[in-house]
Formats: sequence, C-alpha cells, structure tokens
Amino acid sequence: MKIEIVLSRFFSILVFGASALLAQEKPPAGSAERGYEAYMKYQCYTCHGTVGHGADRGTGPKLAPNPSPYAAFALQVRTPRLDMPAYRKPFLSDQELADIYAYLSSIKPSPPAKDIPLLDF
Amino acid sequence: MSDKGIDRRSFLKGAAASAAAIGTHLAANSALAQTEKPSAESKDSGRPSERVIGRPGSDFMVDVIKATGIEYIASNPGSSFRSLQESIVNYGGNKKPEFLTCMHEESSVAMAHGYAKAAGKPMGMIAHGTVGLQHAAMAVYNAWCDRVPVVMFAGNFLDADKRRPGVEWYHSVQDPAALLRDFTKWDDQPVSLQHFAESVMRAYKIATTVPMGPVLITADGDLAEEAVHDEKKLRIPKLTRSIPPQGDSGAVAEAAKLLVAAEQPVIIADRACRSQEGMKRLVGLAEALNAPVVDIGGRMNFPTTHYLCRSEDRRQLIGQADVVLLLEVADPWGQFNTISDPHHEYRRFAKPDVKTIHVCLGDTLTKSNYQDMQRFMSVDLPIAGDAQATLPALAEAVKSAGGIARRVSLTDRTTKLRDDYRQMKERARTAASQGWNASPCSTARMSATLYNTIKSEKWCVAVSGVQWNRNLWPATEYFNFLGGSGGSGVGYSAPAAVGAALANRDKGIVTVSIEGDGDLMYAPGVLWTAAHHKIPLLMVVHNNRAYHQEVMHLQKMAALHNRRMDTAAIGTTIEKPNIDFAKLAQSLGVHGEGPITDPAAIAPALTRALAAVKRGEPAVVDVVSQGR
Repeated sequence: MKIEIVLSRFFSILVFGASALLAQEKPPAGSAERGYEAYMKYQCYTCHGTVGHGADRGTGPKLAPNPSPYAAFALQVRTPRLDMPAYRKPFLSDQELADIYAYLSSIKPSPPAKDIPLLDF
Repeated sequence: MSDKGIDRRSFLKGAAASAAAIGTHLAANSALAQTEKPSAESKDSGRPSERVIGRPGSDFMVDVIKATGIEYIASNPGSSFRSLQESIVNYGGNKKPEFLTCMHEESSVAMAHGYAKAAGKPMGMIAHGTVGLQHAAMAVYNAWCDRVPVVMFAGNFLDADKRRPGVEWYHSVQDPAALLRDFTKWDDQPVSLQHFAESVMRAYKIATTVPMGPVLITADGDLAEEAVHDEKKLRIPKLTRSIPPQGDSGAVAEAAKLLVAAEQPVIIADRACRSQEGMKRLVGLAEALNAPVVDIGGRMNFPTTHYLCRSEDRRQLIGQADVVLLLEVADPWGQFNTISDPHHEYRRFAKPDVKTIHVCLGDTLTKSNYQDMQRFMSVDLPIAGDAQATLPALAEAVKSAGGIARRVSLTDRTTKLRDDYRQMKERARTAASQGWNASPCSTARMSATLYNTIKSEKWCVAVSGVQWNRNLWPATEYFNFLGGSGGSGVGYSAPAAVGAALANRDKGIVTVSIEGDGDLMYAPGVLWTAAHHKIPLLMVVHNNRAYHQEVMHLQKMAALHNRRMDTAAIGTTIEKPNIDFAKLAQSLGVHGEGPITDPAAIAPALTRALAAVKRGEPAVVDVVSQGR
C-alpha cells in the first residue's frame, strides 16, 4: 500500500473522529433575528443564498437547513478551507457568529425535489 | 456618432467658388479658405451642389459585401462611412446586407458575435475607424477569445488634404486596425476598389477558417465617395472557404490506442463542435469508448440527456482519469490544476501520471500581448487539427484499435456509467430544490420556470448567467446552447442574445437569455435595436442588484488585510435606487414584466412574455434574484 493511501485513510479517520466530537458540542446561545441581520450585513448571502441554500456553480456550499456542528462551522468561518475569506473575531464577534448560526438553524427545509413538478426533468 | 454642426465635406473643396453662397464666415477666419484655389474638378462641374456622382466607390463596395453573402451590417451611423451606409440603403436596397441601427459599437460587435454562433456565418459591422473601434474593442476581444468570426469595416479618411477641420481630424487615423491588431486575425486598409474587393474576400475567408476570429477592413471614405473609374477592370473574386484540417492519421491512431487501453478515460470538449454533425460525431466517439464526456460549454458539444454526459462531475472524473482527451479546450492546464485565491496555493486534482491528448488548433492562432492562450501545459500527444474534422477518423481508429475482448470490457462499463449519470442528475435536482420558495427568487427556480415555459418550442439559450440550464435542461440540439462570451468582458450578453435571436428568427427557434443586471446596464440601448428591427427575444433579467462576482473579491482582500468585513457592498451593489428593468424595457419599445420578487409570479410573467415573443417582439422579464 502506498504511503499516500495510508496517510489518506489516517486523515479520514482523524476527520471523522473530530467531526463526531464536534457534533457533541452544544452551540452557544444566539438570536435568529439578529443572526439574519448579521448574515445580510456581512453579505454571507452573496455566496450562500439568503436562506443558506447554496449557490449556482458551487460558489457557496449549502449551509441550511441542518447546518454542520457549531464547532466545525466556527472553524470554517474563522480559519476557512478553500477560497472562503476568513471572518476574524475583531470583525465578526463570537456573539454575531452564534447569532448567524442560530439563524441558519432556524431555516426550514425546502420541499424535496420529487415534490416539485418543475424539477421533473 | 453624429457630427452635427460640421458642414458637408464638399464645403472646403468648393469654398472659393461658393463663398458667396455659403457666407463669409469661413473666408474671414480661415487662411486655407482665403488661399485655396478651386480645383479643376470644381471648375468643370460648376457649382459644387450640382456635382453628381452616379456610381460612387461605395456602390462597388456594396457589390463586394453582397458577394460574401453577409446578410446584416450592425452599426451606429458615422460620417466616416456615410457613403457606404447610403449605398447599402439606396443602392443595395437595404437587403443582404440590411443596415441594423445600433446604439453602441460594442453592441454592434457583440450582436455579430451572437449572430455568428447561431447562424454559423458572420455578420458585418461598420464603425468609425477611431472612436467607433475604440468603443468596439472590448467586444472584439470577446469574439477573438471565443474564436468567432466577425467581419468588421472601419470608416476613415486617410488623405489629410481632404479632411474637414475639427472633428474629421479627430476621427481619422493612420492605421485604424492598430488598436485591435492584438486580437484580430487579419486586417487591411485597401487603397483601391480592386484592392478592397480582394481584401474583403480574403478577410471573410480568413475569418471563417478555423480557428475563426474577427477581421477588419478599412473602407476609406474618399475611395467610397469618389466615382468608380474604369469599372470594366474591376473584378470581385469568388468566395471560397477553407476545409478544416484533420489531425495527422498516425497521431490519431496513437491516440486511439491510448484511449482504448485506458481504464478511466475522460473526454473534455470546449469549442469542439460547430454543428449538429459535430455533436453526432462526438457521441459516436464517446459511445465507441464508453467514456464520460465533460462539456465545458464553449459550444454545445454533447447532449445533456446522454448517459455519458457528466459535465458536473468534472473534478471527480479528472481525479480518477488515466487518459484524458481534450477537444479544443481553451484552458487545458485549468482542467487538471487550480490555484487558490488569494493565497496562490497550487493544487492538482489529476493523477500525476495521467496521459493527455489534445486535438486543437490553438497554437496556430496565438499572439503575444493578450494572455488568452492560458497557462502552458505539456500535453503527451498534442494533435494540431480541427476537433470536429478529426472525430470521425478517431472514432474509426478506436473501433479498430481494440479486439473483441476489449470491446466487451468497454461495454461492461455501461451499467455503472448510467448509474453515475442518474446520481449526477439527482444531485442537480436536489441542489435546485434548495431555497425553492425563497425571495429573492432562487436562480434554480428562475431557470426551471423558464424551461417549463418554452419546453414545447424549439429553443436556444443564447447566453446565461447561471449554470442550471446546462445542469437541468434536456438539451439535444446544437442550437440549444451557444456558450459564453469568450473573454468574459462584461456587456456581451444582451447584444449577443439579440444577435442570436436575429439569426434564429427565421428558423422558428425561440431565443432566450438569462441576463445579468450589471451586464445589461453596459449598453441597454440594444433593447431598442431589438424592438426597432422586430427581433424576438425572451430576456430574463437575473436581477441580483449587484456585481456579485466582485463581492467576494473584496471580502477576500479585507480578510487578507485583516480589516472590517462589512464594507464589500460599497462599489459592488446596484441599489438605491433599484433599477426597474421592466420600465427600462418599456421605454425602449420592448414588452416588460416585473420586477418580480414572488417566485410564484415568474411563470405567468414568462407566459405573457413568450406570447409577445411569438408575435415577433422582444420581451424582458425582470426577476429579482438571489446572488448566484
């Protein structure tokens, strides 16, 4: 087995374990109303959509409904992977982040594709 | 391009003879007028106003243009080509070519760009050799990058002795084409009518020889306005077209061996096909290999309904591929690698030992200054040939390269490939359902509703600011999707869509576009052109009230500079006031609907708009939309 494959599997196990731990952490208290205001103010919607539904061409992944665990969400916002810009504490407070998370958590699911006649391609 | 306030150019020529008639203002203030003597021609012809030219050079120029088969000339009127314009209308009967009134030279060229992709042949355009071509330049660059033929004419008065003072000097130039020479295939400035005839034929031939591109011929104003002399000696050469070159047969056989032996072959097509026949050929090759096809979309290359069409799975497929066949791909390096933004981290998502084959004519048409050649990539088997012309030989070579056992094993891929295709489509539908009831309207719902409105028609998406059409719509015809702008110069979409709609008008094809609000505001006057010339186009304005693509660039810079993150709206949003595109359209004589904020209201508005289009009119539906 090549060393790259070994490392890749080790990394996958690590990420899975970390995700499981992160999922257990309770998100901080936040206000969905204030979170919407912050989400719009910081223009998160430009890439992720006003209801966190994601964007065309994969420019912004779907965030809601059912956002990823708070710790993973915060990690991505503060020290993002890929092309997303970093939103650091001096410019997006912990409370604002918690509020945004509360807003994303409050978003109701869209109807499933199978129930939308216009998507019956 | 008006020159109101400037007298006719014959004024100076006959100034001395007609000073009394035209007043003393010029004589009192112009040394030239006081010293210039009447020309022999003026003496012979008496009063200048009685001079008549029965057969001006511009009539012959029209004969030449007619001989190319060019059906339309898009132009904003300009005095440097006034004789040619007059000849097109009065001598040529304003038919083949018909003069299309444009409100910006950028619109003229972009209309010709969209027209060429829909019609499969070039449109002409005329502009001032100076200010007109300067306006046109960005659109010419788009056509160059997109490898699309446009036959351009420029008006100019080369002879300084004959120019009127003032504006005519500002509008004259030694070398009109210099401004565009980095991104045109060829240009010439003919000094005789015979020269003009030969150069126009040469220009047309060069423009339509693959790889295609824009060309420019200067139609000298004096040559156009003066009488034709010795017409018996003038000849208009017959127009002939070059046959696209097929790739070397040995190289094609080698490519076939590599592809047949591959376990995970992938085909990437960009500007590969020029016609339905091209698509048929690509389907034939893909089926012979049972290889997935990624259609980047520079042209309509592959039916989206085919189980081998896997455009949305590009990254995954390239990551697994052992052999990749590229067909006229503008950016081969970018198919295998990327660079993060703004940290410039290099990432490769292809295997290090993937074998690459590229059938392309890109190296035969490249210049140094503008960097449309993209990053260099060492291709294992580069084949200098036209993709569409090479496909039949490649498909035949593939069929004969493998034995029966290999062909059976290739067929064994089918079940998995069909399953992968179904999953890809299901992912697209699921993604499209997200935010379905959101307001502003989701771009997926906008796209899906548009398809539902036109699905019983023969349809063409001339341009689109969203990808959903390609991901969701069942497209099987070459005319369904026309691809993008080429150079990503903003302002292309609206005029290109109008040009495409003109080409489709007589074919019974309903042309639609999903138009960015920022793009439309570059030169919205093209809507008037559509109304004036009765060009039916259903334009949906993807009105996200911003230059959304730029927002994240500013956010990235703020993060990089460790500064506040809430100011990216400054300079990027198009709000306060919001633009009402329905009213804008209506003011230009176009059917207008909207602004629509309730997604449920899109469908009825589109139905009304389609009814207008079926009556032969353009229509605009303003949908207030999500960012992307």
